[in-house]
Amino acid sequence: MPMKKFLVTFSPDLVSEPITYRLVKEYDLVVNILRAEVDENGGRLMLSVESSGPQIQKAVKYMVDVGVQVKELKEFIRKDDQRCTNCGLCVSICPVSAYRIDKTTWKVVFQNEKCIACGLCVDACPPGAIKLRAQV
Amino acid sequence: MKRTYQEINEKIRKGEAVVLTAEEIIEVAEREGVERATKEVDVVTTGTFGAMCSSGAFLNFGHSEPPIKMTKIWLNDVPAYGGLAAVDAYIGAAEPRADGSIEYGGAHVIEDLISGKAVRLKASSYGTDCYPRKDIDTWVSLKTINQAYMYNPRNAYQNYGVATNSSERTLDTYMGKLLPKYGNATYSSAGQLSPLLNDPQLRTIGIGTRIFLGGAQGYVVWEGTQFKTSVPSINGVPKGSSRTLAVVGDMKAMSPEFVRALTFHKYGVTLGIGLGVPIPILDEEMMKRVVIRDDQIFAEVLDYSVQSRNKKTIREVSYSELRSGYIDINGKKVKTSSISSYQKARLIAEALKKSIMKGEFLLTEKVADLPGERVQAPLDLHAREEVE
Repeated sequence: MPMKKFLVTFSPDLVSEPITYRLVKEYDLVVNILRAEVDENGGRLMLSVESSGPQIQKAVKYMVDVGVQVKELKEFIRKDDQRCTNCGLCVSICPVSAYRIDKTTWKVVFQNEKCIACGLCVDACPPGAIKLRAQV
Repeated sequence: MKRTYQEINEKIRKGEAVVLTAEEIIEVAEREGVERATKEVDVVTTGTFGAMCSSGAFLNFGHSEPPIKMTKIWLNDVPAYGGLAAVDAYIGAAEPRADGSIEYGGAHVIEDLISGKAVRLKASSYGTDCYPRKDIDTWVSLKTINQAYMYNPRNAYQNYGVATNSSERTLDTYMGKLLPKYGNATYSSAGQLSPLLNDPQLRTIGIGTRIFLGGAQGYVVWEGTQFKTSVPSINGVPKGSSRTLAVVGDMKAMSPEFVRALTFHKYGVTLGIGLGVPIPILDEEMMKRVVIRDDQIFAEVLDYSVQSRNKKTIREVSYSELRSGYIDINGKKVKTSSISSYQKARLIAEALKKSIMKGEFLLTEKVADLPGERVQAPLDLHAREEVE
């Protein structure tokens, strides 16, 4: 099933719009909320959504129509393989196991599709090989 | 079956030495038995690439015109120690930049120099009749520096505790970021590849032993600081931090592949350094030591939320369990991370093996033993008369 990640930003007047509910109920998406914040400036939701059909596109259209900003997230983290020493400190820090050690080569492998952009690995990398993409 | 250093070096010179890494020897000895493996193999190579804070380098800049007796020295704004002769300095790996930043420090200066980069040297002085100059601001590199030798007072720790955190908050430590409520556990030894775990009593490692250091040939010069022999052993190897080495090597022959500046968030700067020791297979006893496996080497899991030099041991765990990716703590599956690079440890053991096989690296017999017994004393608050 295709899976995509979105950063959904909405203004304070849209905080009461039950976006996640409609994504599930009306568009039949499998929704996982990766991060959520609401404050006086509105809200930001990071979602991963899965669907078997073209429902994701329709759901995005719904969100845009109600006035929500939708940005698809593709790559948050860049790992500089030259700088990386393959220690593996990132492996136990990552809450979604986006990093793993290949037990044949003992190299650290980053799986972008699992990443939820929490940024915990950035500070945890001693040689400074991991950067948020915005910093690259 | 006995073998001397002379016999081994003769074979190395002829390109006939049989050399295996400490990882490869395990399988060979299991397949053929210790007796046969001893007859066949001359040298076993080890390696480790870990964060070693107690590292640094002596530098001699040469004399300026007019000359200066440098008292305060900065390299790329990182303070270096100048309490030596006029143009000698020691740059410590863990030194933060003068503005307090730990994003760039002594280890970064060392890595930059080894990478061939120019480094800005600033120095000041009070001026003397023989050294009239009072300040200097110039650029130096390994091309201009006369001597640049790494001198690391403590490297190659023989085993080290595993760090975890029982508290409610994240801890930023020299063992990396430790997540709350046993969120993870970190360890640092290269285990079965680690130099001092393959010769646990230091039978073949002592003052004068030629080693691989940062890609160059270096030497063991002394016992490392915090060297201790009082740690209980399991399967003949200590289960906690024990012996260490003081080592020296020429920075001009080193490679940035094996020397890497590291910053541990909210802790400080340190140096990732590659170190390997060749172990001569003098007899079956030596072979029995180098075949040690990760499942036979244990380390204590320590709770770093205890802000004391005496941390509670939660359990003992083998390196094979640590390397599986998870360890069990009180019934919880806790993710593990290594701080040292096993991939680079392998590269180092391989590189050392190749240079011995090519006849470029000869083994040295130690000229003096490191201590057979040593206790590590704590620092307590004393009145003067108590310590005199």
